[in-house]
Amino acid sequence: MRSLLVRCYPARWRARYGDEFEAILGERPLGPFDVADILLGALDAQLRLRGRGADIAQGRGLSMSLRVGGIAAIVGAALLASAGLLSYDLVRVDDRVQPVLLITGLGALLVALAGLSAFQARVAPRLIWTAFAMTAVGTIVAVVGSAAVTLFGDAYWALGIGGVFAALAGSALFAISTYRTAALSRGAAVLVGVGSVLPVFSGGVQPLYLTAVVCFLLGWFALGVEAIRLDRSASEMRPA
Amino acid sequence: MAPKTPEFGRFAEPSLLILVSLSNGPKHGYAIMQDVEEGTGRPMGPGTLYAALARLEEQGLIEPLPPVDRRRPYRLTAVGASNLAEQLRGLSDFAQMGLRQLGESRR
Repeated sequence: MRSLLVRCYPARWRARYGDEFEAILGERPLGPFDVADILLGALDAQLRLRGRGADIAQGRGLSMSLRVGGIAAIVGAALLASAGLLSYDLVRVDDRVQPVLLITGLGALLVALAGLSAFQARVAPRLIWTAFAMTAVGTIVAVVGSAAVTLFGDAYWALGIGGVFAALAGSALFAISTYRTAALSRGAAVLVGVGSVLPVFSGGVQPLYLTAVVCFLLGWFALGVEAIRLDRSASEMRPA
Repeated sequence: MAPKTPEFGRFAEPSLLILVSLSNGPKHGYAIMQDVEEGTGRPMGPGTLYAALARLEEQGLIEPLPPVDRRRPYRLTAVGASNLAEQLRGLSDFAQMGLRQLGESRR
């Protein structure tokens, strides 16, 4: 996997930095955070060597950071909670709104998982990769399920729901790894865990389902705010 | 008021953190990442590290040393040390100005 990641960089860059870069990748377990950061670094190197570095230097959103993960956690939780609440017809909206909220929310959750998992991956890389893979697979299945419902009717409804449950299982595993490593708030991790597992056992009981939605929203929101606070500027750096 | 520093775009802050890390002696990439993470409490990915290292080397602020077991240490150049001092003075001036204004507004 390491040599594959190094190969994403341009040949000229690899000739200069390839050997030492690959050595660094072998120093500690790589998690989704590192892989996303390496892919963005490779994109940066490709653009720079084509003389387009100045274009992307203007924006600050490409680098993988706790801030990116934090923002994605807040946005993703808000979108997923909104999609969850629409199940109860509290507001009348177009039928296409809920799947769109669900899929964009799951996509954001995937970015959040990558952005917030840097420290957990050093201690429990397998758990974090399993969490990420389950969320990724769940998102893809939810997209396929939603498309199938739109094209072929409600018979494929269960496929979309299966994808959502897989993604929730990924979210629960992320909560477990965060709790175990105490990389971020354990209280928020418990809320995410409860919010991710409870829908499976709610059995259509509205108070339980609503409790799950609130726990999920609050948990991810708290993790997101904490990550953004941690990603403070260099001027606030503690003396090493 | 801002110090005259080379344009690093979105890698300006990682670059400053790397310069600070190298200020007490040469380090290889992994040691820089560890140093930055211990100092700031936030992760620095390998992609960000090498994007910033390449820019710093290109600007002549750091220079590579011969590799040891595939690990290549880097050290500050004289220009890099002076650039770092200038950036830190700029940050210090800004902090002092902010603290002064805060003190005035609380009176």
